[in-house]
Amino acid sequence: MTPEPAEAELLARARSGDIAAFEQLSGAYADRLFMLLLRLLGDPDEAMDVAQEVMLRAWLGITRFQGRSSYFTWLYRIAVNEANRALDRRSRRPAGVSIGARELELPAAPAQDPFRAAQSSELRQALREALMQLPPELRTAIVLRDAEGLSTEEAAEIAGVSQAAFKSRLHQARLRVRAAIGDDALVTAGG
Amino acid sequence: MGIPDDAGDHQWSQQHLSHYVEGDLRPRARRRLARHALGCADCGRGIRAMRALVYAVQGLDGHAGVSAPGAVFDRARLAEADGPAAPAP
Repeated sequence: MTPEPAEAELLARARSGDIAAFEQLSGAYADRLFMLLLRLLGDPDEAMDVAQEVMLRAWLGITRFQGRSSYFTWLYRIAVNEANRALDRRSRRPAGVSIGARELELPAAPAQDPFRAAQSSELRQALREALMQLPPELRTAIVLRDAEGLSTEEAAEIAGVSQAAFKSRLHQARLRVRAAIGDDALVTAGG
Repeated sequence: MGIPDDAGDHQWSQQHLSHYVEGDLRPRARRRLARHALGCADCGRGIRAMRALVYAVQGLDGHAGVSAPGAVFDRARLAEADGPAAPAP
């Protein structure tokens, strides 16, 4: 995949050691990448820590970026790997030392009548909890495909699995979230 | 993907609602699930629930309003003196 001209120029400068070019190149995706980490980790402090690590690894490894995928895909793949490492570290912490308990407060839904707003708020909360209960590989699949809106091809590449394996994870994730929330709550909230 | 016999339709359909919503079923399997759901209130509701789930996850939050903190490049800046790693031979 050939990068866009401006991106190609920034990439060349970054490879030669220009940190400003690297920041400009990666900065274009920083907000989206941080949002992805928030979705995968559920904790702003941990997301910030991992985002810094992603950018460090990208900087140190940029000369090895071959351009076979887009720079965005390459950066996202580093982010997913680092998020999974963070989740693995979290799972090995002694019980009772919890990171991720703080729920991320995101913008509320557009104004609507109080009953619908309450339903919507409850559904969002239930969704966040159900997503955080998923094993990392299933959470990654539903976040990349449904929340991030990536194509199956792109999401599978970022997750580092075949499209068939990615689809299998996505369907499993949706079934588990559906079971956790229940059809009644989903259908009612969906109107 | 195999097509179930009639007795297995309900369980099979319940397990493939996401495939149905995603458009991942082959035409014959898709028709079979759709036909089953027409006569099965649980599966009809399941399809609506699965669609609502995908929609809800899409709308759970947005990119707007959440910005990466400025410190996101701090560690890379600290490593700047060493420059990016040399390419692999």
